[in-house]
Amino acid sequence: MRLTDSRALTRVRQFLWGTWRQGSSMRRQLVGRYGYLVLLIIIILAVDLYPFFDALRLSFFAKNLMNPGGDRFTGMGNFVRLLTKEPLFWPTLWNTIVFTIGSVVFEYLIGLGSALLLTSRFIPMKNLFKALVLLPWAVPIAINSLIWKFMLAPNYGFINQILDRLGAHDFLQMNWLGDLSLVMPVVIGVNVWRSFPFYAITLMAGLATIPKELYESAQVDGASWPARFWHITMPGIKNVSMVVVVLHLIWTFTNFDVIYLLTGGGPLHASEVLPTLLYQQAFELFDMGYASAIGLFILIFLVVTVGPLYFRANAKT
Amino acid sequence: MKRLSLILSVCLLVSLAVLPRGAQSAEPVTLEVWNVWDPAIDRDGRAMNEKFREYEKLNPGIQIKQTVMVYADLKQKAVIAGQGQQGPDLLHMLGEWVPEFSRMGILEDLTNEAKSWSDYAKFPQSAWNVSTVNGKIYGLPSIASTRVLLYRDDLFKKAGISKVPANWQELREAAKKLTADIGPDGKPRVYGFAFCSASTAIRGPQEFAVHLWSTGADLVKKEGDRWVPGFTPEQAAEVFQFYYDLMFVDKSAPPFSIGWEYQQLDSAFQAGTLAMAQDGAWMKRRAEQSESGNSWKTAYYPYSKAPATYLEVKIEGISKFSKHKKETWEFMKWLYSRDNDVYINQTGNLPSRLDAKESKFWVEDKVWRDTFLESAAFGHPMPPIPTSAILKGSMDSLQEVLYKRMSPQDAGKDYFNKVKAYLDTSVNK
Repeated sequence: MRLTDSRALTRVRQFLWGTWRQGSSMRRQLVGRYGYLVLLIIIILAVDLYPFFDALRLSFFAKNLMNPGGDRFTGMGNFVRLLTKEPLFWPTLWNTIVFTIGSVVFEYLIGLGSALLLTSRFIPMKNLFKALVLLPWAVPIAINSLIWKFMLAPNYGFINQILDRLGAHDFLQMNWLGDLSLVMPVVIGVNVWRSFPFYAITLMAGLATIPKELYESAQVDGASWPARFWHITMPGIKNVSMVVVVLHLIWTFTNFDVIYLLTGGGPLHASEVLPTLLYQQAFELFDMGYASAIGLFILIFLVVTVGPLYFRANAKT
Repeated sequence: MKRLSLILSVCLLVSLAVLPRGAQSAEPVTLEVWNVWDPAIDRDGRAMNEKFREYEKLNPGIQIKQTVMVYADLKQKAVIAGQGQQGPDLLHMLGEWVPEFSRMGILEDLTNEAKSWSDYAKFPQSAWNVSTVNGKIYGLPSIASTRVLLYRDDLFKKAGISKVPANWQELREAAKKLTADIGPDGKPRVYGFAFCSASTAIRGPQEFAVHLWSTGADLVKKEGDRWVPGFTPEQAAEVFQFYYDLMFVDKSAPPFSIGWEYQQLDSAFQAGTLAMAQDGAWMKRRAEQSESGNSWKTAYYPYSKAPATYLEVKIEGISKFSKHKKETWEFMKWLYSRDNDVYINQTGNLPSRLDAKESKFWVEDKVWRDTFLESAAFGHPMPPIPTSAILKGSMDSLQEVLYKRMSPQDAGKDYFNKVKAYLDTSVNK
């Protein structure tokens, strides 16, 4: 076995060296063929793998930026602290799950509803509506969030002003983002508003792949609209739905900017999610080791919970 | 031929790499400036931008590149860049960042430069103290201003209040009278007072510190070589009780203001829905834009046992990783020379330079200026240790009170314990 390996290696070496010596045209071919890969590998190493392995390393160290040179290996210390001593851990994990599931469920329902309406033959000016539906997705997240923050402001906010003018005077001073029980539904609502266009557009593409003949045959056979929806439409967009939902489960679970810009995780941590907790530890308390452990926990949690769904979705597509 | 061209290329590259910088004098030096003064929306920002262009004309080899951010982003970007051994040449900072950044090792020690500068004495020692950590100066104190009671004189007259409140009790009484103009929902349209309490607030902890100082306490103090809380749980409880009374007993602070940051507070004052606030010199700019601006007046901030206010000093530092430290220091000296300092602080912030406070803008309005200047006599800067956790902790405890999860007494104990634990585990190590 070793002999074979050694021969194979020698052959590869001879091939490469021979190719190199065979002249510039062959070299150019080699460089042309694999040069792109080298660039790609360097980019992946620099952008993905280096930060990942550095964060992995940091998660096993006590590292605070205000104590340079004081790094020390703590093994699983940061993880033990997170799981057993962090008072915010369990409420924050729960908030993250509620935010993720709440967002994805409503995004899917509204996205699917929009996609069905926009592909329906009864809707006029479809292109205009398609453009309108895309608007929230096209506006940068930061601007979206800040606009909503001002719209939801008590007293002078657009939403409360409208409600007041409609006669609901009690709502003029409603502090949507300052109410402990309302803040999470409101934050989910803003996130849904921002993200549902992605579902709508993707599901519209999925709907377009369903052969019209199926609907015509079903109609001839007397199938009702709900029956056609459950037995033709839903199976037709099952795979694309799976991919979109899985992607959004990951993106929403790791989403930082929407909540940070709207509430900063407050009030009283009522909208605190794992990414905002990580941010506080990293950039307000400069505890990079602990923050890396939180980051790694997010990754492990996603691999365990969403990972199987992701591979299933990938296999199907 | 190929070999010859290869040798020539290598020689050229080597010569470029080893030639002294002076030999490449044609290459301009670009000084990167990170600050918060936006020339697009801010008059002082435009004035500063004009000065940048003027400096470029005076020094043809130098270009100034400005990047504008809000404070939260500025801090985050400076920290991240510093960890990558990068950073701007000139970095604008809040005074409380200096102890943190100096510990991180991302600021250049400017002690020798500052002390040998002929204008060193033109800046008050109290301002230099804010940029000094363990005897080393890490920046130039560009702005030194205080917080005052900003109030609406017209609303005072309407409510029949003739005396501006001087202590907490008078503030509470005035705030109650000023809470008026009941709307169709039975709630006031104008509230007497409001404060910041967002968990990510910058201003909220500063306001809280003013209240704590005015009980006669301090945030932290040094005992021997250890830092300990400078207040008792009872003193912190007194402050939380003051907030609680305004919000729930007197109902003179808007209930929807829980979680406010400075943007909401300042906007509410400008909109006329607030009659009093603890505020800063930047509100002068808003007064000019407001119809009611002539009625905006300032007074010393009311206190409980001792007059106190926040002495906010802003610092201009040089990144440890700047490639043009010498050029940046020369530029800083020029920018904060007397006339330039006056020019770039026309509307809002009070320059730190003692001889720049007589600028045309501030001289024209002595009523505003003198309150801010005289308040400096009882102004407290933030302590020279990393304070992020201490400041954030105050807002966390305050929110516990405002959401009625804790009594003011329990919040006082909670905050005391948080500060003590932080000092023991992070500062005294």
